[in-house]
Amino acid sequence: MIKTIATPRDKKVTGCGECRSTCQSACKTSCTVGNQSCERITREQNPEKND
Amino acid sequence: MIHVFDYKDAHYIYDTGSGSLHECDKDTADYLKAKYEGGTMPKLSAEKTREIEADVKSLQDGGLLLCPEVKTAPIKSDEVKALCLHICHDCNLRCRYCFADEGAYHAERAFMSERTAKTAIDFLIKNSGNRKVLEVDFFGGEPLMCLDTIKNVVAYAREEGAKAGKKFLFTTTTNALLLDDDAIDFFNREMENVVLSLDGRKEVHDAIRKTVNGKGSFDLVIGKIKKFVRSRGDKNYYVRGTFTARNLDFSKDVLFLAENGFDSISMEPVVTEIDDLAIKEEHIPEILSEYETLCDRYLEKHEKGEGFNFFHFNVDLEGGVCLHKKVSACGAGNEYFSVVPNGDIYPCHQFAGEKEFLMGNVYEGKLDPAIREKFASNSLFTRKGCENCFAKFICSGGCSANNYHYTGDMNTPYPITCDMMKKRIECGMHVLARKKSGQK
Repeated sequence: MIKTIATPRDKKVTGCGECRSTCQSACKTSCTVGNQSCERITREQNPEKND
Repeated sequence: MIHVFDYKDAHYIYDTGSGSLHECDKDTADYLKAKYEGGTMPKLSAEKTREIEADVKSLQDGGLLLCPEVKTAPIKSDEVKALCLHICHDCNLRCRYCFADEGAYHAERAFMSERTAKTAIDFLIKNSGNRKVLEVDFFGGEPLMCLDTIKNVVAYAREEGAKAGKKFLFTTTTNALLLDDDAIDFFNREMENVVLSLDGRKEVHDAIRKTVNGKGSFDLVIGKIKKFVRSRGDKNYYVRGTFTARNLDFSKDVLFLAENGFDSISMEPVVTEIDDLAIKEEHIPEILSEYETLCDRYLEKHEKGEGFNFFHFNVDLEGGVCLHKKVSACGAGNEYFSVVPNGDIYPCHQFAGEKEFLMGNVYEGKLDPAIREKFASNSLFTRKGCENCFAKFICSGGCSANNYHYTGDMNTPYPITCDMMKKRIECGMHVLARKKSGQK
């Protein structure tokens, strides 16, 4: 039996370039886009980030 | 393509086309591995085979398995959105593994003047186009040796940013040696993120991270970092360690950090050519096993309500970045740049001081178009050997600087880095599955 664990949510906007630069997060040597969240979604969930 | 992998008694299928992760039983995993990745087909009953094929068809029809990969265009923009300001090329530690030549970047030790830093801010605002949120990280050397400059630059950026309709997010990376109450207060007010260097166990940290007098720095920084983290509230920080060939049992260092109250941790493989520290091919089996050990202990901690955030296990399959970003890599040399103390601009901090990558100077305000185009055209699709790798949409073909420094070509990934990356991704997927199922 195959059970789905996770699948990407539909995004209203793609390719907007608003995402944070990958190297700013933690490691400065091996950060990857896989560790990143969509900045648009993050801001929608945290409206104060739109200040 | 699909990637079928086992994590001990758990079995997973990751579909690169849809970005979906599925869990299955061992028979299904063995069957799919044999059918899609080659190998021996397991002996299964006709009924089991029909069941698997029906599941696969259902998921395929729903766009969750065996989906064709879309060759999405990388994000290409003329906007500059982030700068790494090397606020000083000097350091109050002499860490053996430092890729920045113990802070000096293979040149004379130097401090960035306030004027240069403010000119860099002007450069960023001027070249940021329609982008509203801009990022600046203060890097070194050791940035806290220049705290007054940082304070003035932050105030300037806030003021100029407001005039131009821009919001700044600041980050500082520090060894915490000068992290006093004043710096803590400032960081908590102004820094979106703070990265604090601490390698883990005292003996591991002290073996590498020494003061200019040659003494270990652990006892000098641990109390300060704890105090800072206690004061940080819900704001972002990372306690960031480096592991080398001398502590391949680095899961102990991550757990040591967690047990000392740090709940946001990163532990990175060293980037060095120093023989007794460098990660080599013969270390890989032990490192991959160590990531599994860390993953198991990490989940045990979560189960006990003592969970923490380990940077590399955060594989965000649901709310992660869009496909355009996934194929675009980090943006170094195109939308993200490093500025060294004299105002010279490089593609990123790992290229700083390498004259063939000098792109301009903030006082001239221009970027070398040929070098920028070279970096802008880098994407997953220019990386060699990534086409058939399951991790491609998560790592984007790796770090241009690491690729270049290890293989001589920005578009040729370094196999040792790839091995570690793939294992971390599998662990991250296992963590995601266990957290979602509420098990272990």
